[in-house]
Amino acid sequence: MHFFLQQVVNGLTTGSLYALIALGYSMVYGVLKLLNFAHGDLYMLGAFVGYFVLQWFGGADGLSIPVPLVLLFMFTAAAFSMGGLGMAIERFAYRPLRDAPRIAPLITALGVSFFLENAVLWLFGAQTRIYNTPEFISFKTGIHIGAFSIDIVRIMVIVLSLALMFALREIVNRTTLGKSMRAVAIDREAAEMLGINVDRTIALTFFLGSALAGIAGVMAGLVFNQVYNLIGFVAGLKAFTAAVVGGIGSLPGAVLGGLLIGLAESFAAGYISSTYQNLIVFGVLIVVMLVRPSGLLGHAKIEKV
Amino acid sequence: MAPLLELDRVGLAFGGLRALHELDLTLNEGEIVSVIGPNGAGKTTVFNLISGVYEPTSGDIRFAGESIVGKLPWQITRLGIARTFQSLRLFLNMTVKENVMAATYGHTKASPPESILRLPRARREERQVNAEAENVLSFFGERLMGYRWDQPAYVLSYANRRRLEIARAMAAKPQLLLLDEPAAGMNPNETLEMTELIGRLRDERGLTILVIEHDMHVVEGISDRVVALDHGEKIAE
Amino acid sequence: MAPIGVDEWVARQGERAEELPGWRGDAARFFARVGWWPKLAVIGLLGALFPVLSPNDFQLQVGINALLLAMLALGLNISVGWAGLLDLGYIAFYGFGAYGFALLSSQQLHSPDGIHLQAWQSIPMVLIAAAILGLLVGLPSRRLIGDYLAIVTLFFGEVWLEFTTNVATDKLGGPNGIPSIDPIKGFGQQILTLKGYYYFLLVAILVVIASLHLLDQSRTGRAWRAVREDPLAANMMTIPVNRLKLMAFSFGAVVAALAGTIFAASQGGVFPTDFDTPFLILIYAGLILGGSGSIAGAVLGGLVVSVTLEFLRNPTEAGYLFYGMIILTLVARTRPWVKLAGIVVGTVAFGYAAHAIVGAVSSAATAGSPHSGGWVGDLLGNWVIVPANPKNFGNICFVILICALIALVQMKRSTLRTVLLIPVIYLAACVWESRLAVEPSITRQILIGAILIVMMNWRPQGLLGRRRVEVV
Repeated sequence: MHFFLQQVVNGLTTGSLYALIALGYSMVYGVLKLLNFAHGDLYMLGAFVGYFVLQWFGGADGLSIPVPLVLLFMFTAAAFSMGGLGMAIERFAYRPLRDAPRIAPLITALGVSFFLENAVLWLFGAQTRIYNTPEFISFKTGIHIGAFSIDIVRIMVIVLSLALMFALREIVNRTTLGKSMRAVAIDREAAEMLGINVDRTIALTFFLGSALAGIAGVMAGLVFNQVYNLIGFVAGLKAFTAAVVGGIGSLPGAVLGGLLIGLAESFAAGYISSTYQNLIVFGVLIVVMLVRPSGLLGHAKIEKV
Repeated sequence: MAPLLELDRVGLAFGGLRALHELDLTLNEGEIVSVIGPNGAGKTTVFNLISGVYEPTSGDIRFAGESIVGKLPWQITRLGIARTFQSLRLFLNMTVKENVMAATYGHTKASPPESILRLPRARREERQVNAEAENVLSFFGERLMGYRWDQPAYVLSYANRRRLEIARAMAAKPQLLLLDEPAAGMNPNETLEMTELIGRLRDERGLTILVIEHDMHVVEGISDRVVALDHGEKIAE
Repeated sequence: MAPIGVDEWVARQGERAEELPGWRGDAARFFARVGWWPKLAVIGLLGALFPVLSPNDFQLQVGINALLLAMLALGLNISVGWAGLLDLGYIAFYGFGAYGFALLSSQQLHSPDGIHLQAWQSIPMVLIAAAILGLLVGLPSRRLIGDYLAIVTLFFGEVWLEFTTNVATDKLGGPNGIPSIDPIKGFGQQILTLKGYYYFLLVAILVVIASLHLLDQSRTGRAWRAVREDPLAANMMTIPVNRLKLMAFSFGAVVAALAGTIFAASQGGVFPTDFDTPFLILIYAGLILGGSGSIAGAVLGGLVVSVTLEFLRNPTEAGYLFYGMIILTLVARTRPWVKLAGIVVGTVAFGYAAHAIVGAVSSAATAGSPHSGGWVGDLLGNWVIVPANPKNFGNICFVILICALIALVQMKRSTLRTVLLIPVIYLAACVWESRLAVEPSITRQILIGAILIVMMNWRPQGLLGRRRVEVV
C-alpha cells in the first residue's frame, strides 16, 4: 500500500512538471497552431538559471540567505528569463513565418531546439550540474503517515503547480489578455479585425508559457537534482504527449494529460521496470491517438468544405 | 426509369445543431437540378453528404439504386459522383494538365512497380490519361489549351480556375456532377458562358448535374427543376 | 469571340518574370533542354570518377558517408517532400535496416553459428520487412494530421533507440551493439574495400534516384503531390489518400533500410547511438537545404551537409569554410562594388584598430593566438582579439553576436546596416577564433540548427526547390 501511494506521489510530482510544460505547449498551439519543439529546452534552460542563482547565493552548502528567499529568487529568475527568451524566440524565429506553410515553423522550431541544446553545451560545458537539494532542504521535513512519507520538496512542487495552474485559469478566463488569447486561438484574422493586438497577445502567450516551463525547470532541478543540456528533450517529448493526450489547445486537457502521463510513468517504473517506462508512455499515446484522435478533452477540428 | 440519385429522408445533426432535416430529393438521369436558398440553409451540406464528407445521422442516400452511406469519398467518386467546391480547392502548385490527370487515378490501375519499370500497362495508361486530360480541357474552348497545360494552376485567373475545377471533376468520369456555386464571383459575360457550359455538359457529355447557385439568371437558364432549402429543410420544389 | 486581354504573351508574363537574367538564364534554359537521363548519367560518371582521383581511405569514407546521407535524404523526401507528411522517426527505419542486416549476417542470433546469409538473400528480406514496418508506422497517419503525426513519429524514433539499447540485450546487443558483421557477399565474391563499398553504394543510389524519378512521373507521383496540396480535395478526386500516405511511409522506409544495410556492412558493426535524433536532424537539414520535393535537391543537400560537416572537423579547414562563406556571401549580395570594398577595408581597419587598442590596455587580452591553423591563423594573428583565456570572452562575444545579428536582420536603413556589418563580422571572427574552431563537434550541431532556422526564414524551398503557393 505504501508502495502504491509512493508511486502516486511520484506520479503526481512528475505529472505536475509535465502539466506545467504541457500548458505552455497547449497555449502556444492554441494561438499559433504551432508545436514549439523548442519549448522543452526552455524548461532545461530554466533549470540552469535556477542552478546559477543558487550558486550566486553561495551554493547548496553555503547559502547566504534563507532558503525560502533563495527559492523565490530562483523561481522568479527562471520565470522572467525564460519568459523573455520565449518572447524573443517567437519574435525572431516564428513571427516571420506566420503565413508560411505549416511545415516551415515546425522545422524552424526543430532548428531552434537543436541550437539551444548545443549552445548550452558549448557555453556551459558538458558537465552535469547538481542542485544538491538535500544540502539545503531537509528531506526529512514533510508529511509522515506511518511508514509513508512525502517530503517537503514534492509537496512544494505539487502545491506550487496547483497554484500556478489556478492562476493561469484565472488569467485565461477573467482577464482581457485571456479573452484575447482565446479569441486569437479561435480565429486570428477575426480577432485582428476586432481590434485585438494579435502580435502582443501572442508575445504574452509565449511569455506565460515559457515562464511556466522555466519554473518547471527549477522544480525539476530540486526534485531530480541533475541538470544537463538534454533534459529538455525527453521531458519535452513527454509533455507533448501529455498535451496531445489531453487535447491540444485545451488547457484543462494539458493538466489532465500531464498528470496521466506522470502517473503512467510512475506506475510503469514502479511495478514493471523503469527500462520500459518510456515505451509504456508511448503505448499510451498510440492508444489515445487511435481511439480518440483529438485527445481526451479536445474538440475535433471541423474543417469547412 | 429508376432515379440516378435518391436522398431519402436524409438528416444531419451535429450534436444539438440540426443541419438538415428529413430531406427528400431525387434526380433522374439527364436532369439539371438547381438547389437554391439563403446562406447557411444547408446546400453545401447536402453536397458534403452526397460526396461522403459527412455521414447522415438519419435517412439514406442511394446512387443508381445502391446505398452509398458510409462509403469513403474516393469510393463514391469512383462510383460516378464528382464535385466542385464553393471555395476553390485546386492543386495550385501542380500544372493545369496535372490537376486534371490527378483525378484519373481512380480508373487507372498501374501499380508502383509497374510504373517504375514502365511496363506496357503503365505506359498505355499514361498515354490514355494524357489524351483524356486534353479531351476534357478542350471542352472549355481555347482557354485551357496549348501553352496553358504546363502552367501551374496558381497563375490562372479566377474564372479559369473555376473552369479547371470543373475539368478536374469531369476527368474522374462521373455520371453525376455536383457543382457548388460555379458562377460565384463572375461578371455577366462569364456567367453567361458558365450557363452555356453547364447546358453543354449535359448535352455533349451526357452528365446529370446538381447545381448550387445564388444567381437566378443561371438557375433560370439551365434548370429542369429547382429545389429551395432553408434552415435545412426543403421549402419548395 | 476571342476573350479580351488573354493573349499568350501576356499569360506567360509570370514565367518570364521568373527567368534569371543574363548568363544564368541561358544556363537554366540549357539545363532544361537536356534530358533527365543524360543528366543522371553525367552525375553517375562524376561519382564514379571520385575514387579514381582520391584513393585516400579517409576521403573514401567521407564519400561513403555523403552518399549515405544523400540516400537517406531521398527517402525522407518521399514522405516529407512528396506526400507532405512530417515523419520525425525516420531514423528508426535506417536503424532497422542496419540491425536487420546485422542480425542476418553475424554471430548474434542462433548461437553458436550465427546466421550468415548472403547479401542477395538478406537485403531483400530486410527491405520487405522495412516496407511492412513503414506501413505499420504510417497507420496513425490515417487519423492524424501534420503536427500530431510529427509527435507520434518522433516518439517512435525515441522508442527505437530505447528498444535497441535496453530490450533483449542478448539478441540485440544492448548499448554495445552488434559487432563483427559480415561484409556484403554473394556468388563467391565479397566487398572488402572502402572503394568497393563506395561503388556498390553509388550504383544503389543511382538505381534509387532513377526509380524515384520514374515513380514521380507516374500516377503515384501525381497522387502524392495531390495529397500534399490538398488531402481533402484529393480524396474527392478518386485518390485514396490514406493508402497513399501509407505507401509514402513504406517507400521511405525501404530506401532508409537499404542505406542501413550498406552502412552496417561497410562499418562491420552497429550501435544504437548510430541512429539517434541528432542524426535525424542532419538528414532534415540536408533535405531542407537542398530543397524538399526535389530529387536533385535531396541528393545535393545530403552531399553538401555531409561534406560541410567533415570540413568542420579540422580547425584549419573549418576556417577556410567559415571565412570563405562570409566572403562569398558578401561578394554575392553586396552591390555596388564600392560598397563591398568599403566593407572589406572597414572590417580590416576596425580589426587592427580594435586589436591595437585592446592590446595596449591589457596584454593578456590579446595574448592568445587564433585557433585556425596554417596561413589563415598567421594572417589573423594581429587582427583578431584572442585573449589568453579565450573561453569566457568567446562566450560573451557569442551572445552579443547573436543579439547583433538579430538586430541587423531587423534593420531597414541601408547605410546604418552596412556600417553595423563591420563590427558584426569582426565579432564573428573573434568568436570563431576563440571558441568555435576549437570545439568542432558542437560547432557542427549549432551550424545545423542555424541552417534549419535560416533556410526556413529565407528560402523555405531550399536551393533547388520550387517556390510553392499555399492557401492558408
